[in-house]
Amino acid sequence: MSSAPEIVFAGTDGGALTELAAYEAVGGLTALRRAREMTPAQIVAELEASQLRGRGGAFFPTGRKWSFLPKPEQNPRPHYLVVNADESEPGTFKDREIMLRVPFRFLEGCLVAARAIESTRVFVYIRGEYLREFEVLVSALEQLRARNLLGDVTIVLHRGAGAYICGEETALLESLEGERGQPRTKPPFPAIAGLYASPTAVNNVESITTVTPIIEMGGAEYAKLGVEDSTGTRVFSLSGNVVRPGNYELPHGYPLRDLIYEVGGGIADGRTLKAVIPGGSSTPILTASEAEKVTLDFDSLSQAGTAIGSAAVIVLDDRCCMVQLGVRVSQFYEHESCGKCTPCRVGTRWLTQILKKIEAGHGTHADLDLLLDVGDHVNGTCLCPLGDSDAIAVASYVAKFREEFLQHIEDGGCPFHGTSSLDGIVAPTDVHEAHAGGAEIHRPLEVVG
Amino acid sequence: MSDLVKLTIDDREVEVAKGTGLVETAAAAGIEIPVFCYEPRLGPAVGACRMCLVEVEGMPKLQAGCTLTAQDGMVVHTASTSARAAEGQKGTLEFILVNHPLDCPVCDKGGECPLQDLTFRYGPGSTRMTFPKLTFDKPIPVSPLIALDRERCILCYRCTRFSSDVAEDEQLIARNRGAYSMIATFGDEPYRAPFSGNVIELCPVGALTSTQYRFEARPWEIQDVPTVCGLCPAGCNIRATTREGLVKRVQSRNHPEVDGGWLCDKGRFTFPHLRSDDRVREPLVRGTVGLEPVSWDAALDRAEELLRGAQGKIVTALSGSETTEIAYGLGVLLRRGLGAHSAVLDESTSAALDACRAPLSTIGAAELVVVVGDDEVVDRAPIVDLWLRKARRAGAEIVTIGARGSVPAPVGGAAEALRDLAAADSELGGRLRASDRAILVWSGSGGGGGARLAEAAHALGFEGKPGCAVFHLPARANARGVAEAWAAAADADEADPEPIGLLVVSGDEAAGDPSVRALAERASTVIAITMFHSLAVGWADLVLPATASLEREGTAMNLEGRVQRLRRAVTPPVPDELAWLSKLAERFGVALSPHAAVVFEELSGRIYGGLLLEQLGEHAGLPARRPYEAPEPTPLAHSPEANVPEDHFVGTLRLLRYTPLFSGHQVERVPELQFQRPEREVALSTVDADRRGIATGDLVSLRSNGTSVELRARVDARLVEGVARLADEHAAHLHADVEVVKA
Amino acid sequence: MSPTLHDEIREVVKEYPEPRSAIIPALRLAQERHGGWLPDEAFRQVAEALDVTPAYCVSIASFYDMFHTEPVGRHLVEVCTNVSCAVSGAQRVVEAFERELGVHAGETTEDGNVTLRTVECLGGCGWATVVAVDNRHHLRVQAGDVGGIVKELGE
Ligand SMILES: Cc1cc2nc3c(=O)[nH]c(=O)nc-3n(C[C@H](O)[C@H](O)[C@H](O)COP(=O)(O)O)c2cc1C
Ligand code: SF4
Ligand code: FES
Repeated sequence: MSSAPEIVFAGTDGGALTELAAYEAVGGLTALRRAREMTPAQIVAELEASQLRGRGGAFFPTGRKWSFLPKPEQNPRPHYLVVNADESEPGTFKDREIMLRVPFRFLEGCLVAARAIESTRVFVYIRGEYLREFEVLVSALEQLRARNLLGDVTIVLHRGAGAYICGEETALLESLEGERGQPRTKPPFPAIAGLYASPTAVNNVESITTVTPIIEMGGAEYAKLGVEDSTGTRVFSLSGNVVRPGNYELPHGYPLRDLIYEVGGGIADGRTLKAVIPGGSSTPILTASEAEKVTLDFDSLSQAGTAIGSAAVIVLDDRCCMVQLGVRVSQFYEHESCGKCTPCRVGTRWLTQILKKIEAGHGTHADLDLLLDVGDHVNGTCLCPLGDSDAIAVASYVAKFREEFLQHIEDGGCPFHGTSSLDGIVAPTDVHEAHAGGAEIHRPLEVVG
Repeated sequence: MSDLVKLTIDDREVEVAKGTGLVETAAAAGIEIPVFCYEPRLGPAVGACRMCLVEVEGMPKLQAGCTLTAQDGMVVHTASTSARAAEGQKGTLEFILVNHPLDCPVCDKGGECPLQDLTFRYGPGSTRMTFPKLTFDKPIPVSPLIALDRERCILCYRCTRFSSDVAEDEQLIARNRGAYSMIATFGDEPYRAPFSGNVIELCPVGALTSTQYRFEARPWEIQDVPTVCGLCPAGCNIRATTREGLVKRVQSRNHPEVDGGWLCDKGRFTFPHLRSDDRVREPLVRGTVGLEPVSWDAALDRAEELLRGAQGKIVTALSGSETTEIAYGLGVLLRRGLGAHSAVLDESTSAALDACRAPLSTIGAAELVVVVGDDEVVDRAPIVDLWLRKARRAGAEIVTIGARGSVPAPVGGAAEALRDLAAADSELGGRLRASDRAILVWSGSGGGGGARLAEAAHALGFEGKPGCAVFHLPARANARGVAEAWAAAADADEADPEPIGLLVVSGDEAAGDPSVRALAERASTVIAITMFHSLAVGWADLVLPATASLEREGTAMNLEGRVQRLRRAVTPPVPDELAWLSKLAERFGVALSPHAAVVFEELSGRIYGGLLLEQLGEHAGLPARRPYEAPEPTPLAHSPEANVPEDHFVGTLRLLRYTPLFSGHQVERVPELQFQRPEREVALSTVDADRRGIATGDLVSLRSNGTSVELRARVDARLVEGVARLADEHAAHLHADVEVVKA
Repeated sequence: MSPTLHDEIREVVKEYPEPRSAIIPALRLAQERHGGWLPDEAFRQVAEALDVTPAYCVSIASFYDMFHTEPVGRHLVEVCTNVSCAVSGAQRVVEAFERELGVHAGETTEDGNVTLRTVECLGGCGWATVVAVDNRHHLRVQAGDVGGIVKELGE
């Protein structure tokens, strides 16, 4: 395994630091003490020097984001720090491990970040399904409070209730305000008018947790890790058909190949690598040969036509039917579409329908064209990136594995004949329908043809 | 001017004020950006439907035009000059139509449907969607007034935004997520709120339709008549859709200063009362076996006989819902022709208010609003309630002083409250005085409201400040106009005749008023002019049929002091009031034209400086303020006075009656409106309820002087102590002090 | 005396600058008190405590997967069937539950004890298959583990 420096998980030695004393024993709270002697501007400058970029998916420079918030003199409304702990991008499970194993480093980062943006109110929006993580944070917060370490800052741990879209920052704010979690149009950006129309910084758990070591070691020092444009380490979530799936903290620029074969122990069950989704299910897929060549950083992955996203690497072996993958991924976006904008609400469902038809062997060449055309009309016309993601992901499966789609059409059925790793799963119960309260909805039978 | 910006849309240069919405900017350049969800009256654009996609140079993605504002140097391409925008728009329209049932031939919206129009213009000729559409039960009732067809719904969220962000009733909601999102109410409960009907007009497709209008007409068969609602003193501008001589629906005619394009459900849905079975369709004379129909000639003979027989000892009870011209006509006949100057006018409005008048829309921009009085604004002049909500959303502070006020006051304490505000040491008064955007509203009966309000505003220095205004909310639609017309008809002092030889009751509101009924008992003879049989049957000697406001030509003055024009939407089933009044006047040697326009001209010469009917235009303006003149002390002879609380002995509560919005002889005659009427309940303060061991939902009995009423109790945390509040229609014959006990 | 739902909700409201922000915690509290789902009565109670309409409460609750507007079993078993779990055998886990419980996914056992659902990504992709039992996550579940899990849920 790698001997990469641990930054986010430093001092854990593979375990968890859930007692304050244990955390202090490995140097915890140094950053907080230091930050309290710094001005907000100095903290922001340190972040800019570190070139830390957001770990939530959009990769936006954190220091720059904070610098967009008006000073309290310019806008006297309360400033808010909202931490995005809604982690729901398929393939991603890193924030969860961060909260479980280094809750104090995370909360310390919250306090430092709050100081940087001159906020005394922090909301941590944690996905509702993360019950244990919530409990660990409650306990950690209690310990900090008991030691009077929070100063004038209030941290509220707010549990969500199951909706992927609430990870999108403006939907998250709507949800936190007690509305349906539907995205807002931007501008205004949260920095200007976010929570309760006040200046707000929204940051990912990993971003915030990384703030702590950056203040400890200094921004310039941190920037030496990783590669240009993608400094520092990253907690990669490795999942799928590998021998040792899990979260691994590695420097940016790490070869994807090494992550899979060395860190991850290679493809499981003696199969061969077919494809890799490198940054969560929203990112375009890479073929095995493409995956051999890329490194895990912004530039390399953009050049390969995909993105680092949430650093969730999903490994797929040769048993994976790409049409079934399309169905499964498209169903996810259909299910999670908030329903606010037309192209996403309607388009994701339509894409799923077409994909199912092709998978069932009833598709035509015209259907394949229609699939791409519908996707083109979804991509770039939605209110937020969710709808786009479906279209982009599906289009990448067709682009990279067109032959397989054509085979379904020409053979009149799935060439895997029931042996695909996704087989059967393509029609999970539509929980949302049950959730809808059934009676009023007459869902037509999905007669394909 | 510095805040003008120049931008280019589809190669046309256009200059607008910075921050103007792009949709409006494009319109100014003669370019249409199609929209569905965009409706600026609902608040900031939400960018949901994506119909308005445009390309903006320098921005990589297509943009929702509705969410953009004009910036200097911006270069915009709409679908007509950008292939990408056109493609995006086509895509959106295709998506919108994917689940649409395409049932235009049986859809009420057909012919006036933006979706139909846009599909025709930009839409695909055929569908590429070969999968089963989402289907829903259809249509389902959202209430007895509104039907919802979820298959036609395009989820633009206009209706739910209205419900939550404008009316703030939060009853109509979006349910579920994603593709299964749908519009709904709570469970099986109806959308029960004063402004529900607006969602029908807001719906850009045929998803929300009026149950009254369903399948009643097609757009090419109808005529829209622009007129003014006659059901409350706000005077919202409306258009009455008629077909074959019948009113089929009422819609808003957006007067931005008066109603902002909204209507209350009373104004919108009450018109079927025109066709009520118990309408008086011919004159009725009391004979040996009660009232019997007679010919018009016989009726006028009888009227002449009664009028002459009274020898001037005549009292006229006016409703305040007459047109100004009818009131003037009555004045000309009775005052000029017969010297009968005594009148019961419904309420004490005052011309002195004109010193601080302003459009109702001024409220929306206020920073401080003080409402005095015991009645809910929504019950008296509903649209004012929407302006108040708008103000509050924009950050205004709204203070209410009354029996349910944010500042509790004893029943009938409005006049006192105003005096306090005007006093030098009042903190709130001081803030009113200091503000440039302050509003005073009187929402209650009696107490010399108009004059006192004008006085207070004068004392607070409102006159010089255009952002400061006062509004008195009378109980009847044309209280001001009727009072002024009556006054203008002759110049003589009122003297109360005793005994009363003849009581002339004008209109159903007067006929239904208990104090008028009491006068009738004292009068030797009674002439009643009413629309409905049931009202005056028991006690009138002669009943003459009245018309409804939708059947009238003429004018009315709303609570702002704005003279607005009423137009006859449909011909009444009976001759209108001016027609027979002019004939009757002739018998007494006074001239009165049967034509409203001519009457208006004469009247206008006396009180409106010769304004012509034509000058009122489609959207009447509000005349400039007039210098303040201290009003004469209000003659309180017959006006119902405030319930000045006496010391009620322990154990009894003061009865606080109110007239709910959904009440009155018109509402009673519209079956589909009945669900909007108030519950049979009495509101008690927390303290009074606790003292009696009463909880919300308990059956209680109210007793006074031998009568008793049983109804459910509601504990109302906002209500002052010592009061039992209930709707007029449930108060029956209860007296002012009531005992309240658990039944 | 144990606190009423109303009091509990009022307590949560204090954490937020605006009371509406407490809608999710309030609905969660109500759901706990009503046997894991939200009948109309629950919406009325939450509405009363937050001074909002029941309709608003429904509009929020129905947006989120973790609120149930239909009755559910005393226990809730949710199997992740998103990509990472799926390619690692989630379907066999689902089938095992279906066999053990005698219901299809989406259904509740006849005795009202267990509701079985398949759900989207639970955020444990590296520990596939993830199964949430009453919101507690069991990791690396295989078909063979299902019998034991079901046994623990009792009758
Ligand atoms: C559909 C969608 C889902 C998202 N989900 C998450 C999420 O679960 N966690 C997260 O941190 N960011 C998520 N994001 C990104 C956020 O919008 C936002 O960019 C991020 O929280 C900013 O934090 P960062 O700058 O620290 O990365 C999502 C974005 C979209 C469009
Ligand atoms: S793209 Fe989908 S999730 Fe995003 S706003 Fe539109 S409907 Fe909602
Ligand atoms: S009109 Fe712009 S998105 Fe609907």
